[in-house]
Amino acid sequence: MKILVCFKTAPDLEMLNDEDWVIDKNLQIDTSFLKPTLNSYDESALEIALKLSDASESVKVPLELNALTIAGSGETTILKTLNALRFKRVVRIDSHDDLRFRPMAIASILAQYVLKHASQDVLLLGRQTSIGENARTHLLVAEMLGWPCITQAIRIELVDGNHVMVTNQMDDGRLRQRIQTPCVLSIGDAPNTYMRVPTLKDRLGYGKRPIETLSIKDFQLSDETEELIDLEVIHHKRAVILIEGKSPEEKARKLYEGHLKGSVPVQERLAKT
Amino acid sequence: MIFKGILNGCSSNVAAQAEELNGFIREYLSCGDNVGSTIAFYSKKEEKNGLLGLVPTESVELVRVARYQPENILVALRTVENAEKTDLYLFPSGFAGSEIAVRWACRMKGSCLVRVKQIECSGAQLTARKTVYANHVLGTFILTKKPYCISLAKGSAASQAIPIRDKLIVTEHDLTDLQKDQFIKHSQWIPTETTKDLEAATFLIIGGRGMDTKENTQSLKKIADALGADFGVSRPVAMSAWTPMHRMIGVSGAMTKPEVCIVAGVSGAAAFYAGIEKSKTIVAINTDIRAPIIKASDVAVIDDYKAVMAELAKIVLN
Repeated sequence: MKILVCFKTAPDLEMLNDEDWVIDKNLQIDTSFLKPTLNSYDESALEIALKLSDASESVKVPLELNALTIAGSGETTILKTLNALRFKRVVRIDSHDDLRFRPMAIASILAQYVLKHASQDVLLLGRQTSIGENARTHLLVAEMLGWPCITQAIRIELVDGNHVMVTNQMDDGRLRQRIQTPCVLSIGDAPNTYMRVPTLKDRLGYGKRPIETLSIKDFQLSDETEELIDLEVIHHKRAVILIEGKSPEEKARKLYEGHLKGSVPVQERLAKT
Repeated sequence: MIFKGILNGCSSNVAAQAEELNGFIREYLSCGDNVGSTIAFYSKKEEKNGLLGLVPTESVELVRVARYQPENILVALRTVENAEKTDLYLFPSGFAGSEIAVRWACRMKGSCLVRVKQIECSGAQLTARKTVYANHVLGTFILTKKPYCISLAKGSAASQAIPIRDKLIVTEHDLTDLQKDQFIKHSQWIPTETTKDLEAATFLIIGGRGMDTKENTQSLKKIADALGADFGVSRPVAMSAWTPMHRMIGVSGAMTKPEVCIVAGVSGAAAFYAGIEKSKTIVAINTDIRAPIIKASDVAVIDDYKAVMAELAKIVLN
């Protein structure tokens, strides 16, 4: 079974200070000084793929793990890490285009990659990225390929060469379904899926393999049907009162006496307990 | 503008979907030439009458399907709906709403945005606003192709109870024979707890990554239980499986509005803060005065949350 994990790196936006949130006339926010990290949902997708690889021998389903990103040349550290984690093909589609709000374009690239460059049985994607928050790419690529899509997947198990067992989160419960491939699976909030670290031996042995690089010019990009016209920074500020004190105990007393003692819900709930 | 609200009556949260859609329609589509109706999917016959009481518009198309399955829902929509005559489709917040919105727009060659907070109709044009940059920024988009398909952001408008109607125009379709889901070979439903309790909480204690361990998480939950508070966590805690997922607060989890919210060891990422921003009073306890949660709180204690919460529990319980 061939599995392609489509992933993206993103700056850690929580590292930005208030004054860093500046929107320029081209509706860009400079985050170039931040270290790129794996998008959290994509990180889960990569780790889930690695867990499937761990299990493939015991369930006797041969697995080929591949990974693909659309990015500039500055993302090599993470690509080398994926090499070291023994992804068979690690592909970068070279692009310096502004793809923040272009899920149709990204989905069309992924669909063309699967149809023209390397066929796959399962596509794994995180459900959204932090910058665009588009949350549409996985669904669009499924539509373009004519494949079914299971969203909010939190657990995947191999069944046989043509089926996977997928547990996914629904609005009011979970579904565990045996799915025939090919399919697109988008990963939601899957616990215990922080990506593992490769061993030093694997870093030295596999990390230096070449990264397969394609140009975005080799693909036809679909047009978007939504146009960004404005960005506005959201400020979360309240009139904070700092509780001073010489010890945590003193601060706790001041907090209770000054701010919680007369609090209706606290008293109501306490009366019930 | 001709709009249609879509209800997933196969889900147990359909009443919340209906009230959410109703609130959004009253807020943004109740004036001008806007004309709306509802398409409601359901599977169990006995749920039909209840569903009729949840329709936020004056007419409804009831579509019976075997169960909620996106492929079947999309084909059912295609069967009952002429997208050329509809300008705007409104889907509720939640996973089902967003997945159907995107795929329906793609099939109808329309425009789509998910988790929309606000819209503005100007003639035939639709402008929509939604958060981007992990909830730090509000983006404004023009949707350029009809039909416009949007799913709502949680809390985008205050939910409004469905009024009792004297007359409701009902059209019915039975599409229980649809079988576009043959790729599913076996299916098992697993009931889980939901975020409903947290969303109704009036007193909330929330722990974050600063708790460091599962044991510390359990200790803080015990304090919350003793104080009569509901207990929630930030995403990193839930992702580490220190608590079940339904305790997660933020855009991925519960969107709360308690009277009092004590936030312990949470840095305050914007996606988390969205889940508590409607709190009346936010108390932050953190060792780092530079943590974003401090500026966004009403009261802050700069100290180790364990010592502060232990003392607070002692004071209150004695």
